[in-house]
Amino acid sequence: MKIPYRWILEFVDLDLTAEQAADRLINAGVEVASVTPLAPGLRGVVIGEIEAIERELGESHGHRLVLCRVSTGRAHFSVVCGAPNAAVGLRAAFAPPGAVLPGDRHIASAKIRGTESHGMLCSERELGLGDDHESGVLTVDADAPLGADLVGHLGLDDHVLEIEITPNRPDCLSVVGVARELSALTGAPFRAPVIAVKESDEAASGLATVRIDAPDLCPRFTARVIDHVTVGPSAAWLRARLRAVGLRPISNVVDVTNYVMWELGQPLHAYDYATLARATIVVRRARAGEPFTTLDGQARALTEGMLLIADAEHAIGVAGVMGGANTEVGGRTNRILLEAACFQPGSIRRTSRALGLLTDAAYRFERGADIEGVPDANDRAAQMIADLAGGSVARGIVDAYPSPEPRRRVSLRMSRVRRVLGVAPPTADAARILKGLQLPTRAEGDTLEVEVPTFRRDLGIEDDLVEEVIRVWGYDKIPSTLPGGAIRLVQLPATQRQAATVRRALVGAGVLEVMTYSFSDPAYEEALRISGTQRPVAVLNPLSRDASWLRYNPLEGVLGVVATNLRRQQPTLRVFEIARTFEPAPGLPNEQRWLAIALAGPRVPSAWWAPSGEGPKAEMVDVYDAKGLVELVLDALGVHELETRPLLAGGVKGFEPDCHAALMTSTGVTAAEFGEIGADARRLWDISVPVFAALLPLDEILRLMPPPLRYQPLPRFPSVQRDLAFVVGALRAVTAAEIERAIREAAGPLLRSLTLFDVFTFDDGPRSLAWRLTFQADDRTLTDDEVNAIQERVARRIEERFNITWRGA
Amino acid sequence: MVRHPRVDAIADEARAAIGRATSSTQLEELRVRYLGRQGSLTMLLRSLGSLPAAERPRVGAVANEVKRELEALLELRLGETREAERRLERARHRIDLTLPGRRPLSGGVHPLTRVQDEIVNIFVGLGFSVAEGPEIEDDYHNFEALNIPRDHPARDMQDTFYLSEDTLLRTHTSPVQIRTMQAQRPPVRLIVPGRVYRRDADITHSPMFHQIEGLAIDRNISMGDLKGTLELFAREMFGGRSKIRFRPSFFPFTEPSAEVDVLCFLCGGSGCRVCKQSGWLEILGSGMVHPQVLRNVGYDPEEVTGWAFGMGVERVAMLKYGIDDIRLFFENDLRFLRQFASP
Repeated sequence: MKIPYRWILEFVDLDLTAEQAADRLINAGVEVASVTPLAPGLRGVVIGEIEAIERELGESHGHRLVLCRVSTGRAHFSVVCGAPNAAVGLRAAFAPPGAVLPGDRHIASAKIRGTESHGMLCSERELGLGDDHESGVLTVDADAPLGADLVGHLGLDDHVLEIEITPNRPDCLSVVGVARELSALTGAPFRAPVIAVKESDEAASGLATVRIDAPDLCPRFTARVIDHVTVGPSAAWLRARLRAVGLRPISNVVDVTNYVMWELGQPLHAYDYATLARATIVVRRARAGEPFTTLDGQARALTEGMLLIADAEHAIGVAGVMGGANTEVGGRTNRILLEAACFQPGSIRRTSRALGLLTDAAYRFERGADIEGVPDANDRAAQMIADLAGGSVARGIVDAYPSPEPRRRVSLRMSRVRRVLGVAPPTADAARILKGLQLPTRAEGDTLEVEVPTFRRDLGIEDDLVEEVIRVWGYDKIPSTLPGGAIRLVQLPATQRQAATVRRALVGAGVLEVMTYSFSDPAYEEALRISGTQRPVAVLNPLSRDASWLRYNPLEGVLGVVATNLRRQQPTLRVFEIARTFEPAPGLPNEQRWLAIALAGPRVPSAWWAPSGEGPKAEMVDVYDAKGLVELVLDALGVHELETRPLLAGGVKGFEPDCHAALMTSTGVTAAEFGEIGADARRLWDISVPVFAALLPLDEILRLMPPPLRYQPLPRFPSVQRDLAFVVGALRAVTAAEIERAIREAAGPLLRSLTLFDVFTFDDGPRSLAWRLTFQADDRTLTDDEVNAIQERVARRIEERFNITWRGA
Repeated sequence: MVRHPRVDAIADEARAAIGRATSSTQLEELRVRYLGRQGSLTMLLRSLGSLPAAERPRVGAVANEVKRELEALLELRLGETREAERRLERARHRIDLTLPGRRPLSGGVHPLTRVQDEIVNIFVGLGFSVAEGPEIEDDYHNFEALNIPRDHPARDMQDTFYLSEDTLLRTHTSPVQIRTMQAQRPPVRLIVPGRVYRRDADITHSPMFHQIEGLAIDRNISMGDLKGTLELFAREMFGGRSKIRFRPSFFPFTEPSAEVDVLCFLCGGSGCRVCKQSGWLEILGSGMVHPQVLRNVGYDPEEVTGWAFGMGVERVAMLKYGIDDIRLFFENDLRFLRQFASP
């Protein structure tokens, strides 16, 4: 909300600059976003009068160009002007040669269409005072002093405070509210606006009736009637002030309602009295689908429960949001009914959102209007209208206020102040602070009894007053102490400890952590979603379509990272992410934590010691790199003895079906999945190189509870090693794991370790697999004969069982 | 000294040959030629038996003396030539120590993990336990229990992603306060890191970001304790000369509420681009837990008081590292991430 500083000064005498006042407000919790000069860069512009139009100069860009004679009282200027409102006798903003306009635009004599022009008549936009240019030059009142400086005349030598009010302080959505705040903060006396109405003899109660049918949504409605008004443009000072706060001047009547809203914070509305059926106001709920055309010309279908202002027959306004076209005040209006009311905030908010009408009035009503200030605002506006638009105010105010709100009383114990803050001012100082905020306060011992005026709806409990006291006394008075009391044992969630272990293992293995949005792009559904069974959680109001679901497949994040980096010429990719997936469930959706790893590109970056490096002969990562990282992480998490089971179907979607496997525990839990990313996914992400990935369901792994770590005695007798190599035919489906299992079975308990140390594929297809077997006994040194016999037995057993050839014989 | 013509001849010849030798191989050959099993001096010693008995001891002594002399000489020359040869060999295979080392691949945690861990560890050191909670919340835990009713403008402060009328992506980590207090009696000292979501996106706002919530509830906890704790935190996080400042503010779930600024650690408070010439950086929101929130979880506000704060991890990381666009955290360009990889 924009507030010109001079306006504030009408209600409090401050010995501060606008910046200093802004600082005081900020330190008391009233945020001031900026303090800007009202008319920056405007020099030498004066009030001039068009004395005569001397010559027509034809058309330019659709505007009539004329040569005017402009008088500034003492001097006369020939000025070319294209403004549509140029007319003899008009007093307007005139920049004589030598004047400066915003943007450092220096005005000098110039030739326009072959005619000498000495100076310029200026529009609002040219003066930097607003956006208007189309309606022509900025006019001032007909009695404005000729030659007077425009800045001084319109009070433009001022600063505007842009105030950002937190939702609890609707009272500060007004000039008076901010002035009251500054008075409390500085001790300068607050001067409440003087409101006195000159009334005619005709009683308003005979001219208008108000009936509230929905007192729960409208606790108070007041109306005044003003007769014989002349609707027209406002005085120049009023227009200037509205422009300064960012409002567009419309007509004297409407401008006054806006002015008073800004000044007192109470929205008002003026109806053309003649259009009201039976001079009656009814405040009621709308009927479902009830049609209504708002002031902006939009036809709207109202829903049941929205609060309406109606006359005896029709709706005439959406209460607290916007008036209706059917009762709009216009040039022919002679008598008006002026509304000032109070509405239930939640209802206004719902209606304003539902209709998409975020008006200044709704903004204030949804934060809460001052119910006792309602008649004052009506009086203030009525008097201003009478002053500025002529007319006479009918006697009395029609005030429907079925159940007057009692004044709230809150006690403040100084002991509570000390307990909450750790410090407290002397009782007398606290009382003075509260009185300064215009809160009637009475001290009773160490307790302050405070009566809360209706303009401070936010003050409901004792601690609210604690804040008021410290806010004004100064937050810098709060001491610095440390909490005492017993300390409980610090608890770290198992999930956090697990994540730290995973990070430590992978960072040590040269993998970079990434973090991606939890949102999912439906465009990847084809490659990632198991249709039929997997339902994603959808966001009702996403920022964009590509973030309209929540992630359901843990691969989505890391694949995006791979694609981004490949596009940015970063070919060596080793990344991991710890993130959640979401799936619908009764109640809150399920959240599962995953570790996702993705690898692509060269195994090592180019280096002198790795001759292939990132070059054409680079050694690329493969699925075993992914598997190896999974094994490393699971080891770190204490999960051992896993069996690899190919996943021809099932598991997480997104892998190549023939290169996708699970690591299963002996109890049948899938501890990880790994494999190559499928062609569908790569195509959707536009990835041209092979990508390998691994996934660990972290929550399930947490439930595995690894056995406690126990020490194994070191061997006392030497070990003996033997190698066994087998050739497997190209088309045999036998796997390394099957052979290993058979070797272990055949070798018996003396086999202590088994390492596949060589895999070689012959040109014509068969593969050679070579294992190193380490034998050891706990009680003796093994003899060569003993070990040779075992080796022989194992080799023969494998040959027979799998029908493959032993190469070692 | 006693002499013997044959021994002298062998000795002279051997000395000359050893002197001429240029390599360890030649010296080994000379050892064999004179001192080896078939060597001339060895042969001479072996032939002592054929000499008259009276000469034997004398010639034997002379020959043995020459043998020892030659052995010593050979040893000396071998040492010299081997050293020369080793030097030559090393010179031939020169080591360029300026070549880059064989570095294992370096991984690294995400900068937000780094900053989050740093913050959490400071509070763990102060006796705060860590808690987590769901990222999808119901309206009650995210709003109602925190004193933010439906149809209240305070909801505008946190533009929300809804999943249904009643479920939403949590807009702050504060619902974990509620869940923890519902499950536990005071005293409570809690720190809650986690992802939160708000419907907002530009260079300083991300629709998903990370927050750390702090909560302390006990019989006698004051706003002074909040200030002292946060001062300690600021000094740990931003350096020993850090200062903080409290400014009044409004949050529906705290009363009184305070925005907390830290003295700009780039300019030391004199004003710069980062602090927008104010000398202060806004880092967190805080306040005394609202009595209604305490009542909502079954605590008695006359019996216990407490404070809470919430800070954005991205904001702290951006200030600490001078990052000017929040989106960089979620683009995951490796060149960005690697800058935070070193431990």
